[in-house]
Amino acid sequence: MIGTIGVKTINGINNIGRYGRFLWQSMNVSLRSCLDKLSYPLIATQMYIIGVRSVPVVMITGAFVGMTLAVQAYDQLAGMGLEEHLGVLINISVVKELGPVLAAVMLAGRVGGALTAELGTMNVTEQIDAVRSMGTDPIKYLVAPRILACLLLTPFLIIFAVLMGIIGGYFVSVIQLDINSRAYWSFSAAGVELWDVSIGVIKGFFFGVAIAAISCYKGFTCKEGAQGVGQACTEAFVASFISILALDFALAVVFKSIYNTFWPIRSLV
Amino acid sequence: MIEQNRKNQNGILEVRHLTKKFGSKLVLDNVSLSIEKGKTTVVIGASGCGKTVFIKHLIVLLRPSSGEVYFNNKRIDNLDEKELNKIRTHYGFLFQGGALFDSLSVSENIIFPIRQHFKNPDWRQVEELVKSKLAMVGLDGFQNYYPADLSGGQRKRVALARAIALNPEIILYDEPTTGLDPIRSDIINELILKLQRELGVTTIAVTHNMASAYKVGDRIIMLHNGKIIADGDSEHIRNHPHPVVQQFINGQVGEDDLAVLRMSGSISQAQFLPRDFE
Repeated sequence: MIGTIGVKTINGINNIGRYGRFLWQSMNVSLRSCLDKLSYPLIATQMYIIGVRSVPVVMITGAFVGMTLAVQAYDQLAGMGLEEHLGVLINISVVKELGPVLAAVMLAGRVGGALTAELGTMNVTEQIDAVRSMGTDPIKYLVAPRILACLLLTPFLIIFAVLMGIIGGYFVSVIQLDINSRAYWSFSAAGVELWDVSIGVIKGFFFGVAIAAISCYKGFTCKEGAQGVGQACTEAFVASFISILALDFALAVVFKSIYNTFWPIRSLV
Repeated sequence: MIEQNRKNQNGILEVRHLTKKFGSKLVLDNVSLSIEKGKTTVVIGASGCGKTVFIKHLIVLLRPSSGEVYFNNKRIDNLDEKELNKIRTHYGFLFQGGALFDSLSVSENIIFPIRQHFKNPDWRQVEELVKSKLAMVGLDGFQNYYPADLSGGQRKRVALARAIALNPEIILYDEPTTGLDPIRSDIINELILKLQRELGVTTIAVTHNMASAYKVGDRIIMLHNGKIIADGDSEHIRNHPHPVVQQFINGQVGEDDLAVLRMSGSISQAQFLPRDFE
């Protein structure tokens, strides 16, 4: 019993160490790839696969988030006669929290799963060894373009999700629930600041790197066989999901203290 | 004595006291060996005896638990990946399943190593080169195919074309004939010989196919339980006194394996028959 706990702890710490090293190497190589013209085509390909093709799913996610929020929150606010404030509630939740997080979760499933499965299969069929045997760094060729593509495009995808969330919320509130459009927008505009929008977008950079780095790492360390690849994909998704939530929490704390430092009064009002 | 002399001459690749452990499992046990330049060395042994692990150490895709690997008298097993990448351009490695990149076409696969090591290649020249390498393995005209469209043998030949794209000094073959029918295996054997003749490369092949080993090997080494138990030309191996060597080259099952088979009972006891389900 104690032995098992010990072994599990040591394995866990080993794993964290290996992941840390992988992350450090990947960040180094990614930074250098930014200056290397030869890697631009690779990044562009990944941007198309990762970014462009995720737009529809991310937009659908965002739209449903906005619409659901409107339906759920209307009754409570209408009970107090505050239904015209619905816009603030929907838009601030979508812009700051739900849009970015749910879009990132969607990407963790769509992009992360594909990355892990692809790199895992390459690992199992010795293609990663083949890259190394030809004198190329697999992190430079395989990992860096994927991380950079995720880093650059997740914020944009979040913007799409948020935009659709706002439109979805507006659609249900104004057209279906008959809230005065002018009031809806003016309360929203008063409640949502540039700061809130920036937070949502900045989160995207962190989520993007987390998703790509975890998925690539799991692909690189994948065990043999179909079961190994499947297990790696599951682990990658779970780990990405948890990191997204953890990062979200950490960033919320950080941004709040930054906000309080710069605008100490406004947060009290 | 002859073997001893050979060890000190022309060793393009050398391993000294190479030991590899995976966890507590000992895969290679104190292997020392020098490989001659321009010759074909074949490593034979039963499946799972550490042949692939051994060959991957020669190009440092795996790092030894202890011991050293030398390339042209320079120690390489302790270099970092960046320095190793330069050394690895002197090698070609044919993987067991070919390991072609399935997202790239045949010609892109062959261009891959060139693209990685030359900043601004002359593309017309590169095209010529792809054509000539593919012609060498008898597959000119397949440039725009994808690996999924090729048969197992064709994939290995394309992988071979990719392995020789940078005109390596050493080609490592990991089970080049496994999974191919006898005629396709022989095509691969002929290719190995042709490349050695035409390019003068040093060849190291890992196989458990004795026909192939006899045909291509100037020197045959047998690994058993992570140790070298036989080392010499094909005549030497054929007449080797070690029972495991004889058993392996003749493809005979051992007495202890037979005993296990006898122990496991007769067929009627061991399996269900259709009437059991009625």
